Amino acid sequence: MNKNAIRNFVEIIYNCPLVLLVLITSLVVIPMSDEINFFDMNKKIPAVHMMDGKNPVLPGKNNSTDEIILADKTEPDTVQATEGLYTQKEEERKELLENAGECKEENDSLENGGKLNIESVNSQKAVNSAKDRHGTTKFVAYTPVSTDSRYYSDAGKVALTTDYEYALKNESYFNDAAFLGDSRTLGISDYAGLSGADFFCDNGMTIYKLFEDDGVTYQKTGEKVDLKQILQEKRYGKIYIMLGMNELGYGNTLMYMKQYLKVIQQIKEWQPGVTIYIMANLHVSREKDNTDTEFNNININDKNVASARLANGRDIFYLDCNPLFTDAQGYLQEELTFDGVHLYAQHYDKWRDFLYAHCVEREEGETAAMRQEGSGNGTDAAQ
Amino acid sequence: MLFSSVGFLFRFLPIFMIIYLAFPGYRNLILLLGSLIFYGVGEPYFVLLLLLSVLINYGFSRYMFWEPRSPQTDRKKKALRRRKMTLTAAITFDLAVLFLFKYWDFAAGSVNALAGKTICPLLSLALPLGISFYTFQMLSYLIDLYRGTEKRSAGFLSFATYVCMFPQLIAGPIVRYGEVSARMAGRRVRIRDIENGFKLFTLGLGLKVLLANQIGTLWNLIMTAGAGRLHMLVAWLGAFAYSFQLYFDFWGYSAMAMGLGKMLGFSIPRNFDNPYVARSVSEFWRRWHMTLGSWFREYVYFPLGGSRMGRMKTVRNLFIVWALTGLWHGADWNFVLWGVVLFLLIALEKTGFGKWLENSRVVGHIYLLLLIPATWVIFAITDMGQLAGYMGNLAGYHREEILVGTTQLLRYLKEYGALLIACVIFATPLPGKAYWKWKDRWFVVLPLFGVFWWAVYEIVTGSNNPFLYFRF
Repeated sequence: MNKNAIRNFVEIIYNCPLVLLVLITSLVVIPMSDEINFFDMNKKIPAVHMMDGKNPVLPGKNNSTDEIILADKTEPDTVQATEGLYTQKEEERKELLENAGECKEENDSLENGGKLNIESVNSQKAVNSAKDRHGTTKFVAYTPVSTDSRYYSDAGKVALTTDYEYALKNESYFNDAAFLGDSRTLGISDYAGLSGADFFCDNGMTIYKLFEDDGVTYQKTGEKVDLKQILQEKRYGKIYIMLGMNELGYGNTLMYMKQYLKVIQQIKEWQPGVTIYIMANLHVSREKDNTDTEFNNININDKNVASARLANGRDIFYLDCNPLFTDAQGYLQEELTFDGVHLYAQHYDKWRDFLYAHCVEREEGETAAMRQEGSGNGTDAAQ
Repeated sequence: MLFSSVGFLFRFLPIFMIIYLAFPGYRNLILLLGSLIFYGVGEPYFVLLLLLSVLINYGFSRYMFWEPRSPQTDRKKKALRRRKMTLTAAITFDLAVLFLFKYWDFAAGSVNALAGKTICPLLSLALPLGISFYTFQMLSYLIDLYRGTEKRSAGFLSFATYVCMFPQLIAGPIVRYGEVSARMAGRRVRIRDIENGFKLFTLGLGLKVLLANQIGTLWNLIMTAGAGRLHMLVAWLGAFAYSFQLYFDFWGYSAMAMGLGKMLGFSIPRNFDNPYVARSVSEFWRRWHMTLGSWFREYVYFPLGGSRMGRMKTVRNLFIVWALTGLWHGADWNFVLWGVVLFLLIALEKTGFGKWLENSRVVGHIYLLLLIPATWVIFAITDMGQLAGYMGNLAGYHREEILVGTTQLLRYLKEYGALLIACVIFATPLPGKAYWKWKDRWFVVLPLFGVFWWAVYEIVTGSNNPFLYFRF
């Protein structure tokens, strides 16, 4: 080989180590990675002005190998449905109640495709013998829009707060309550003034990460704790869960629902007789709502409807606080938020009042029977 | 398209560089087309506006020196008049376009609010990306041409490439034609330029993705809690976080632009010179966004007479420059207020106070590090009620009870402590000095290599989970 050529070659390597290092590693990484898909130019890359320092939201594919496809991903219409998310509600409410009905009916359609057995959650309702005083979770249908995301589809309905004769309570009701959630729950912890309750939440928390070892921060101590252990050791009267935002771009809605179900079953096993409140994820503002990405209210509503299906009106209730904070189209009101996602601190008192107004008072016999069904080693807490 | 995106890093840049290097004879054309694609991906319609603006301004630049046959006697006079007319028309056109897209709604809204009824309709036009930057660049070229600073008008390809070239198209630095004209005619790209440019680019990418974006979440967290009900220390922490975010975002972007410029054979001017070590507001603004400062100095302040026309005129000129600087940054009253506050501070410093500060060892630094973050808060918060609340919190005044107190402060410090320390270090001149001294050594190259992939990882996971930036 020509000596000069070798010398040139060595010189190049000597002169640009960084470029070569990056080039070589890129050649290895790009074929391996689904994320940096070299040829996938289909999705538009939103351009954001640099000065506002926002991270671009890029199209990306999930590595998930989960093959589950949502059962109700039927042929959707092309009608703009978000517009009517809440406005349609009033008119259609009455006529749609029959088709929507309570969660049991809803599950039938899901079972066909998803093979999801919700009965296991509801099995304990046999214990509830004394009174048949259970609530129903109603769904209001609207015409879904077509979506081509692998993360979600348009649910085509909105879940309403479980119908039930809720009691109005005060702060003391929450002394044996636990809240599990993400940064919005952190907001409740910080600003709603429910000092008696235990908060287990973190920014970026997901339903998948909840039961990881030392996975979540106990807000009273600021330490990471193992929630599994705590739920087995300490007895709570009620557990509030609000998760779903950080799951918008992960897996898909069915996977989310299955995991939610798993979490609830697990909690009921550890905490027999506990009342579980599934709290709806708060919608985002019009500015933040972006149907080019996974980050939009259709997806959030899809997750909310999925979680609402788990509510049985006996010991699992679905609470939707969205009507408190959203406008007629279901967008979070701009004046209540800085980033379009989180409420200002001062508005959490409305949320607290909503929780006060939606307290379930369970019969003593009812909970006692349930407790016997479980391990039954706890004594006090549940009132 | 953004520099800190997978699309740019792994699709646009490599493909573009290969074509650019493979056809040395057509570099301006390739750069122009590449830049239009770069812009067009994110702004498919406004790319037409950009092209139209370039075409019209090029027309003005040619017409300025077009000499029709005419009797010898008044030729010179006519030419002079034509130059003046053309420049006036060009400035009017450019500012009108800028006004329409950027300021119309603001102006109309203000007029309507004053009148108490709707006189001017709101247009709700989207802001074309980078319009403030490329408009100013075209204006600088035309003014330079008129003044004779630029001797000959450029060819269309050179002019269009100069305005559109992607390293500086959407967020500066504001390059003047004289700074790149020699390289427009022909440029050599050496292998070392590519390496050094890429290093600088990587450094900027790291600043933007690993520092600015991350510390930005702290500012977001504090603002989310709500201005007006923050503990004084939390309010200051937020102000510092935002100051860091803005600096690393913009400096990072400018460094990426400089690096890319180098990779293409240009030398793009520096935009930041360690602003936070300044000891007076005037000095800070000589070090922050330097190309914008020099633009206003060159094309507004000096033509108005600068500081040579007596005290009153100097104050007037300063006021005009800073009010315009405020408005340039955004169409809202808080930007005007921000500009006016800067004017007041700088006018105060002109009395000799500034000289004293700059000679002091400690006082100047404390003065700057308290005042500048406070001015950035004015810059950041558009809502006047919230702004008043936040400024009150900074001073320790609360109209309502504190909602975000020491508990949250401790949590924020625990969560962001390490990042804050990194930000402080990078706000000093030390990392820059170390970089320029040892940039070819392995102990700088290897960390940069790590920074590149770490940044890519952050960008990619941010896309997979679009909320990494927010972290719910």
